[in-house]
Amino acid sequence: MKVVVADDSRVMRQIVIRTLRQAGYDWWEIEEAENGADALARIQVSRPDFVLSDWNMPEMTGIELLRSLRQSGDETPFAFVTSEGSPQMRDQADEAGALFLIAKPFTADTFRETIDPFIA
Amino acid sequence: MSAATESAPIFEAEALMGIATDLFETMVDGEPGHLTLWWGEPPELEDSRFTWVDIQGQPATRVLLAASRETGEQLTRALLALPEGSAVGDEDFADAVGEVANVVGGNIKSMVPDGGALTLPSVAHAAPDAPGAIAIIDTYLSWRGAPLHVSLWALP
Repeated sequence: MKVVVADDSRVMRQIVIRTLRQAGYDWWEIEEAENGADALARIQVSRPDFVLSDWNMPEMTGIELLRSLRQSGDETPFAFVTSEGSPQMRDQADEAGALFLIAKPFTADTFRETIDPFIA
Repeated sequence: MSAATESAPIFEAEALMGIATDLFETMVDGEPGHLTLWWGEPPELEDSRFTWVDIQGQPATRVLLAASRETGEQLTRALLALPEGSAVGDEDFADAVGEVANVVGGNIKSMVPDGGALTLPSVAHAAPDAPGAIAIIDTYLSWRGAPLHVSLWALP
C-alpha cells in the first residue's frame, strides 16, 4: 500500500511515520511531502492508495490540497493529521471529502483505532 | 512583550497544562510523569531560545515558549528519537521546538470561540516584540528537571 505523508515539519513527518509503524502499518510504502504543493505533484506521479496530510502548511495547505484533488476528479482516500481539531475544522474536512481528522498529539492506539476501520 | 497582570482569564492555566502534559506524554516522552509545574522561584533560562505561534482569531492570541538551547536540544532528540548526546543542527532544532509550539497553539485554537488562522511557528533568540500584549497565562514548567517558560498572550 502506497501512502503519502505530507507535513512541512520533517520532525513531525518522522513522528507520524514512526507512529504508523508502531501502530502496525510497517508494511506501508511511505513517501514524504513537505507541503501541499509537493504532495499534489507526488500524488499525480505515484498514485498512492492513501494520503495523510497536515493542515497548516506553506505553499498549499492540506485543505487546499484535498480540494484541488477532488476538483480534478482524484478520489484518493485522504485524511488529516493536524494540531487543530476544532469542530469547525472537522466539518470543513468532512465537507471536502476527508475520511477523518486525527488531532495532534496522538498515539499509536489513536492511529490504529482511527485508521483500521478504513483499511479493513 | 509587555506583561500586564490584570486581564480577563480567557484560558485557565490548567487547560494549558493539560495540553502540554498530553503532548509530552504521547509524543515527547512516550510515558507520563516527566512534565510538572515548576515549584519555587522562576528560574533563569541560560542561552534561551523562543518559539511562538499566533492564533489570528478573536481574540488574537500568541503561544510563546522559552527554554535554554540545551533543553531545546533535548526536546529535539526526544522528538526525533535520537541518541542521548547526539548533535542537533539548527534546522532540526527550529523544526522540533516549533512543532511543540504548533501543537500547543493548535489545541489552544480549538478552544478559541472564533479561532482564525494559526500562523506557522517562529523560532528566535529573543521574544517577539508586541507592544500592548497582555499576559493571560505566564508559568514555568519542569521537564525532566529543566525549566520551560510557557506563556499565552492576548495581542492588541
